[in-house]
Amino acid sequence: MPLSESSAMNVARRAAREITPGAVVALDRGLPELVAQATPASMGVWFLRSDGTLNGMPLSAADAAAIVRGGYVDLAIVHPAQVSADGSFAGRLHSRNPGVAAPGNGIDLASSAARVIALNPRIGDDDDPAICLVEDVDGAPDGVGCIDTIVAAYGVLSAENGEFILNEVPAGRTVDDALSAIRNALIRPSASGVREMDFTPPSGSPDSKVFPDGPAALTDVPDGATVFIDGFGGPGGMAHYLLISLRDRGSRDLTIVSNTAGIARVVSFGTPPGRTAIDHSVLIENGQVAKAIASFPVSPSVSRPSEFELAYRRGEVDLELVPQGTLAERLRAGGAGIHAFYTPTGVGTLIAEGKESRTIDGRDYILEYGLRADFAIIRAHKADTNGNLIYRGTSRNFNAVMAPAARVTVVEVDEIVEPGQLDPEEIVTPGVFVQRIVKRPDGFTGYE
Amino acid sequence: MAFSKLYDTHDAAVADVRDGATVLVGGVSKASEPSGLLIALLRHDVTNLTLVCDFSGWDGSEAVLRLVKAGRVARIFSPYPFLGSGGGVIPELWDLGDVEIEAVPQGTLAERLRAGGAGIGGVFIPTGIGTRFDVDKEVRTIDGVDYVLETPLRADFAVLRCHRADTVGNLVYRGPQRQWNATMATAARITIVEADEVGEPGTVDPELVITPGIYVNRIVQSVGAPTI
Repeated sequence: MPLSESSAMNVARRAAREITPGAVVALDRGLPELVAQATPASMGVWFLRSDGTLNGMPLSAADAAAIVRGGYVDLAIVHPAQVSADGSFAGRLHSRNPGVAAPGNGIDLASSAARVIALNPRIGDDDDPAICLVEDVDGAPDGVGCIDTIVAAYGVLSAENGEFILNEVPAGRTVDDALSAIRNALIRPSASGVREMDFTPPSGSPDSKVFPDGPAALTDVPDGATVFIDGFGGPGGMAHYLLISLRDRGSRDLTIVSNTAGIARVVSFGTPPGRTAIDHSVLIENGQVAKAIASFPVSPSVSRPSEFELAYRRGEVDLELVPQGTLAERLRAGGAGIHAFYTPTGVGTLIAEGKESRTIDGRDYILEYGLRADFAIIRAHKADTNGNLIYRGTSRNFNAVMAPAARVTVVEVDEIVEPGQLDPEEIVTPGVFVQRIVKRPDGFTGYE
Repeated sequence: MAFSKLYDTHDAAVADVRDGATVLVGGVSKASEPSGLLIALLRHDVTNLTLVCDFSGWDGSEAVLRLVKAGRVARIFSPYPFLGSGGGVIPELWDLGDVEIEAVPQGTLAERLRAGGAGIGGVFIPTGIGTRFDVDKEVRTIDGVDYVLETPLRADFAVLRCHRADTVGNLVYRGPQRQWNATMATAARITIVEADEVGEPGTVDPELVITPGIYVNRIVQSVGAPTI
């Protein structure tokens, strides 16, 4: 029988109770989309849909897939045709054409989401659990052993050791009622008792991402951390206030990943007389940097070497030189769940030494690996309190590509606004990638 | 005055699509599909096409179905090869062996297109390990985790839709239009875009441009799209 509207909503309500505040939740097409309606806005949940929208922000298919593969999805809610007793599922088997399944984004979710739950398995419009909860799925599964919970109109089940354990039934229905109605020999009641399904909306709200100041946002940067530092060449698009905060924090043995290793000071474009531009040099001269991974680590002027060059000549720091586009692509890969990729950049040069090379369709490539970091300190123009970011002009530079690739991304902004005040079409970095927001103090200039 | 990529008619914009071409079709709904260009393809007597498209929202759309029904399509490459209801002309033709269907995970399709557009030779990703989607592909174990090598995907043509374009091809989308149109724009030899509004260069805010004009070869205005 097809689900009635009210039982469909009850399935969604019960599933919403699996969501924690601030979670990133990916919704399969159809029934799972009702879960967004059943979740209070105060929960601060991010809903990623198969049309590529994230809480109404439009994303390209590539960016939406990157969120999934990059490990940002805490919970995926799928609506498969079949779930097997080992927690595997087959999505969208076609009732008339069982040989061709429509994988949709189910395989992406099964492969990369932290947790996957299934709603009311069905074949076509038929939700008979005798057909949909099976020992093994027909044909090849889309996800293997990944479903831990099944929320259906007739109850909540888990897949354990080749059986489906009935853990909850709706109010007014006994376990025997449920079992005789379902008629599926693989289902047995939980030994620890079957509870009543709870349809109460979930509650709670996520921790605020807004930190009072830079030091508070960087207090847990440990010695030995890898830190992305944004910026291009000059002072634009660089988180000067956070750089000073990191200097004051004093974390040592850092590996910094950045386009330059600090040349704004020596280039001194636009620097007011008698002052110096804040860049990576403040960390290097404070003895905090062990290694830089950078594409432009030296000063453009031989007569004015950068702090990093001087430290390198003294043997105090290591350097990994990365072509600029490869650096950007390695960062993008790190954030997008791509472990490694073949690129033509650097073939036949020193860059290729020690790397796997491969000829594909007559063109030579080398294998480069994704880059991830413990922290990123980036700079944007505006953030809303959910961490959605917009940049201004070329200050976007490496910021947008670094944000997804760090475990903790800390952003320094000119202005913090309330949710809804940034145009969703204009947001460049969705807040799922931003953990901490700091307002650059009024009057802070980027020069010391 | 910059070189204009604006074509007078949809028919002129697709006139050189030849038999056997691979065509990326952007959009998943009436609001995001290039319906005028698809109808022009139907009027242009071309056959044996391979279409790459996401059918997930096509229930309200007729244009691709008309192409398929008219026997112009030999192969469909899609994460959702069927309409949501499961019925219709595509499964019927698939049953008859008249249309070949290759199903592909949504994110893998997106990443293969991105790789195709970005000059990447291949990517190692975790998607599909242990399923039918790692069969006959290179699987590599790195730090104890299995990854499958996916190869770039490029096409002869992309037919796309956007909200606003300038005459040199800088594009702005609206809402879910962005999903496939932006992803496909980079991955075709010839990218043809149907825009709801077309303006002179400088009339599109650079901060809002999603697809830079270097990826776009031809633009037509969607108003007055041809009908059958």
